[in-house]
Amino acid sequence: MRNQEITTENKIRFKFYKKGEYKYLSHLDITRIIIRAIRRTGIKIKYSCGYNPRPKISFSHPTPLGIESEAEYSDVIVSENISGDDFAKVVNLQLIQIKPQMKIMQAKKIGIKSINLMNDISVCLYYFELDASGADENLTCKFTKDLKSKIRSEPNISSSVFDLVTNTDTKNIIFLKLFGYVKIFKSMDNEIFKFNYFLDFFGSLIKNYSMDIYYMRKDEMYVFRNGTLKTPMEVT
Amino acid sequence: MKTVKTLKFNELENLLKGIQKPGRYINHEIGANSKDINKIADFTDIVFTALIFPDVYEIGMSNLGMQILYEIINRRENFSAERVFSPWIDFEKKLRDFNIKLFSLENRIFLDCFDVLGFSVQHEMLYTNILNILDLGNVEIHTRKRKSRFPLVCAGGPAVVNPQPLSKFMDFIVIGDGEEIIVSILEKVKAYKESNKDKSWFLKEIGRLDGVYIPGFYKFYYYRDGRIKSIEPFKKVKKAVVKDLNKFDVVLTPVIPNIKTVHDRFVVEIMRGCSRGCRFCQAGMIYRPVRQRDVNSLIKQSVKGIKSTGYGEISFLSLSTADYKNIGYLLEGITSSPKLNKISISLPSLRLDSFNFHLAELIGSGRRTGLTFAPEAGSQRMRDIVNKNISEEEMMECIKMALGRGWERVKLYFMIGLPFERGEDIERIVVLIKKIINTAKNILPKRSFRRFKINVSINAFCPKPFTPFQWVGQDDTGSLEKKFDYIIKNISKRFVKLSWSNPQKSKIECALSMGNPGICEVIEKAWRGGAKFDNWTDLFDYEIWEKAFRDAELDIGFFTTREIQAGETLPWDIIDIGTGKKFLLKEYEKSRNYN
Repeated sequence: MRNQEITTENKIRFKFYKKGEYKYLSHLDITRIIIRAIRRTGIKIKYSCGYNPRPKISFSHPTPLGIESEAEYSDVIVSENISGDDFAKVVNLQLIQIKPQMKIMQAKKIGIKSINLMNDISVCLYYFELDASGADENLTCKFTKDLKSKIRSEPNISSSVFDLVTNTDTKNIIFLKLFGYVKIFKSMDNEIFKFNYFLDFFGSLIKNYSMDIYYMRKDEMYVFRNGTLKTPMEVT
Repeated sequence: MKTVKTLKFNELENLLKGIQKPGRYINHEIGANSKDINKIADFTDIVFTALIFPDVYEIGMSNLGMQILYEIINRRENFSAERVFSPWIDFEKKLRDFNIKLFSLENRIFLDCFDVLGFSVQHEMLYTNILNILDLGNVEIHTRKRKSRFPLVCAGGPAVVNPQPLSKFMDFIVIGDGEEIIVSILEKVKAYKESNKDKSWFLKEIGRLDGVYIPGFYKFYYYRDGRIKSIEPFKKVKKAVVKDLNKFDVVLTPVIPNIKTVHDRFVVEIMRGCSRGCRFCQAGMIYRPVRQRDVNSLIKQSVKGIKSTGYGEISFLSLSTADYKNIGYLLEGITSSPKLNKISISLPSLRLDSFNFHLAELIGSGRRTGLTFAPEAGSQRMRDIVNKNISEEEMMECIKMALGRGWERVKLYFMIGLPFERGEDIERIVVLIKKIINTAKNILPKRSFRRFKINVSINAFCPKPFTPFQWVGQDDTGSLEKKFDYIIKNISKRFVKLSWSNPQKSKIECALSMGNPGICEVIEKAWRGGAKFDNWTDLFDYEIWEKAFRDAELDIGFFTTREIQAGETLPWDIIDIGTGKKFLLKEYEKSRNYN
């Protein structure tokens, strides 16, 4: 059909979380749920042309099945004028039913030609809480010291980790932030961070220190701008 | 009941570790609206029903019947329905290893805490899954061993029109349309729940309703050779029929699955019943009379439903969509609606001919995937015997038209082992396929002819209760295999993709569908022997079933290859399905005339 329409085009970037039961849904499931929620609002998504029209929506890197995420990103092109805040408000009404398992936290209009999320995002941050109640102070100390060298001795993992921060200020709990690459940089000779591979390694490592993973989630995703990390919401 | 027992989320999380598709076992889909148990003050006020579909989530959630009943029950203040599906093998193992009972999706209520367990049974190969679910839910599988007042266990759906194969397991069986009778039954359950009366009182009460068969009320007497001598008392149970479909809205707020299901789309039933009268078809007989929905309200409701669900696809459901009298008007109404954003339409069971070919074009604007035909037989003689009135000329004309307009794929359904079948009927299947390939060669440009494909699906005929062919003996597996071998040897592998149903599976399907109460023991033995998900080709194990028949001292042939005499009492004679035995016999006679 070649109707001459006066086309409004707006690209909206939004950040949402998935938690609770919904962490057991795959990336594709989440994609479908979001598209249907937008369709229910009546906001018109742009579709590609051709025999098999597809909605113009893209998502950030998939989060592994079973992991909660505070930072899922999506760009959608809609054919109407709507502010980011209004978009978030109406779509959230369609997403939330009994208790929110998935919710848009932030949304804003971005340039229609902005770089694709998957190409732009370079680093993801995973957050861990380790139960160290079974370990004494010495063991905890030893663990934080050992961790970096243990990772370094695993070339597959060390080349995929951008940074690692531990915090042992609180008794019995160790907080750990792990920044992994999700993009290959020729200049850095790095690897893509593989969560499940890391989890296997890490899970068996901490057993030696009488610790357990108490909680974990994907916390944020970053793009590089002028040598620093910025969130996808900050850069446009 | 003061409260119900539920599985906590962290316990579920423990179970889900390492499980395939964990999305099958979680809740919070849009549209899931059973009662919130945290807000219930008095549990005696509410009747809790588990709607159980004895197959995996992805298949069960594609079933419209489940959605219809779910909506009808949950709309009411005093009733609550929750869904249960068969756990896949890996999750079942977890449940058994951890010794945790099966639970519903919504509130994760354990099965044995429900008031009613209602199974939706779509085909015979699900029977073993039913026993497995009861067992996983810590519910005794035999009706006579369930001494407590609750849960009540019942079944409905097309695979219970012959209720006998499940008669030892079910307290009652519902025959026919569920929309109205489910409410009458649940009201009786509520009265029963509030009283101190015993189960036999309750069964007597609902036994008065049309459509309710209570196996415990009947006794079967047999001849020494296994045939039924009599059923006592011979009081027929009449099928429940919803006279006017328009009384019920289409389900506008279905539960929208979170994970991808078999049919992930908005479904609207446009017509129930089929006027075609193919003599092998059970659905065509048991869903009579034909009832159509009003077209204008269908258009209005479809538009509303698409908007409220967010689906990008709508499916118009019926047994023979082209026979819906306003089908063209309906499709135009949907495709021309300015309110709908990029919607695609699917029409399952669209019987194509040159007359309604434009329908296929109308919905396929854009995508040209494949055309489906179900000639069922290769020869006109055979098509006359089964009363499939589609002629070869008509079909070829339609295929020519389609190929000329850019379609490149054709799908054909055939049946072999039909009554009065001769070698030439099988040969004609091969001839017909060759003819289509030749036509394609003549019509299609060379480049697209190279891509041309015919998908041919061949199934073994299986006699079913309440059809004119219910007296026919099934072809034996050896003969079926020979016929199939002939077809596979004589068709071009380059253009034809052949799929074919396992004849041993058809044999078991036949034995189960034609079964008398004696079959219950076979089903139980097969289940104890490890049979489940029998419809999944890779899980079906014929040897388990063969052994189960042997151990129950029953002959499979008695229920399959044996030709039944017209005067014999059939296990389902106790059910009045609407189409009388006389009519069926007359139809059978007619088919004989073409022989």
